Amino acid sequence: MTPEILALTVRDLGDTGRVLTATGEIDHDTRAAVRDAVMESVDAGRTRVVLDVAGVEFCDSGALSAFVEAHRRTEAAGGWFRLAGASGRVQLVLRLANLDRILQLRPTVAEATADL
Amino acid sequence: MPAADSWFDAVKVLLDRSHLWRPEDLANAVDEALDPLGVRATVYLVDPEQRFLRPLPVRGRPTAEPLPVDGSVAGRAFTGVAGVPARSPGGARWWAPMVNGTDRLGVVDFVLPEGVDPDTEPWQRGCELVAGLVGHLVTTTEPRGDHLHRHRRSRPMTVGAELLWQLLPPLTVSAGDLVASAVLEPCYDVGGDGFDYALDGRRPQVLILDAAGRRLHAGLACAVALAAIRSSRRAGGDLAEQARTADQALQEQFADARFATAVLAELDLDSGLLRYVNAGHPPPLLVRGGRLVRHLTGGRRLPLGLDGPADPWGEEHLEPGDRLLLYTDGITEARDADGVEFGADRLVALVERHAADGLPVPETLRRLSHAVLAHQPGEPADDATLVLLEWSPRTARRTVPPTARRTDDA
Repeated sequence: MTPEILALTVRDLGDTGRVLTATGEIDHDTRAAVRDAVMESVDAGRTRVVLDVAGVEFCDSGALSAFVEAHRRTEAAGGWFRLAGASGRVQLVLRLANLDRILQLRPTVAEATADL
Repeated sequence: MPAADSWFDAVKVLLDRSHLWRPEDLANAVDEALDPLGVRATVYLVDPEQRFLRPLPVRGRPTAEPLPVDGSVAGRAFTGVAGVPARSPGGARWWAPMVNGTDRLGVVDFVLPEGVDPDTEPWQRGCELVAGLVGHLVTTTEPRGDHLHRHRRSRPMTVGAELLWQLLPPLTVSAGDLVASAVLEPCYDVGGDGFDYALDGRRPQVLILDAAGRRLHAGLACAVALAAIRSSRRAGGDLAEQARTADQALQEQFADARFATAVLAELDLDSGLLRYVNAGHPPPLLVRGGRLVRHLTGGRRLPLGLDGPADPWGEEHLEPGDRLLLYTDGITEARDADGVEFGADRLVALVERHAADGLPVPETLRRLSHAVLAHQPGEPADDATLVLLEWSPRTARRTVPPTARRTDDA
């Protein structure tokens, strides 16, 4: 198995928002990092979470389950989860799985955070 | 020339002994039952990767070597589902395909008495009769112990693979004018892919599943989804109800967002109407007259396990002779060293090429899955499953051993 690397940076916005910027690949091997970051955000009271995936060049179904779980966790805590900047492969995988029907997708982080 | 009675006696002896035998007795019993006919028999089981035919040891005889499916006489009998005569120092031989129904299990090597011409009807018929019975007996004997499992394998299976293979139906089933066949890799380490079919009546159904995640993590979700769909289907649920039953079961069992993409399809053999639900899965391919005519893009809903808006089912009119190809993304997204994906076009081209060669459906799938494995360097990155449904009486008959085909003609 080739090592896939995912880097996540954290930026807080307002009282309840957090932007996670992902770079690299989100797959079965790295999805736990996304999940943990979202959980941490929710636990810290930041229940409106944006995941910026503009810098993610590869994702698979492991990523999708991380996204859906993030969606569920934030909603359960009264917040929301948005994906920003999905394009190319990431967008294709989301659309193929019909997840654009439940996940909030925004073209840019600015649009995803406009109401924060 | 052996009397019909001798073959009947052999069948009777085998059946009588089968009730109480241990798994390791099977191969000896087959050999001993044929002793009065002067025939020696060795049972070979195909391994899960379908690359080698592996002999079951017979007591008091050196165990034969495994034989490659590609490039051996035994392999020709297996791949073509047809007996093959051969000559050897020990006597004339007949290599008979061994199926359970139409599921290819292996071959039986019959060494015939001196002076016998193997290429004659009574010998072929007798050998294939016994091979047919042995196919059924292998199937009923396998769950009694580990012997047959162990001798089929070239290496141990992972926990996820053990779970999954116990859940899945035979790789190939044919009924009347329909063949459904599947292949699943990496067979010793599969996790989340699955398939199922129900060829009852005039409305056969087929299912392909791909649970998110890997190995046992995905396998558990696949198991729950598959069982939920069967439960609903057997209670008379339609495709949408089956999918909803799977949604509910997955949500009840898993707190994390465990889901499975799937296609559930039902073909009405009287009208040719195919109905299908696509839960976030790659669209099925409709192949007609050697050409890809359509990606079936209707009937979309979220993956199983996730609630949300759903389209009504998709519909498509099929014609006799059509092929419906279902696959998981592990097939089309298999990447070579340069990152080039296997792709749907290559998939369809290979299906057509093998079908044009007159290969039985399961052999087409075996070669396809090996082509996908060969496309990617190293271990496959994902489970890869292919299910082919073909609506053709001729193709269905091609999955049956020849002498049984003849009986059917009569």
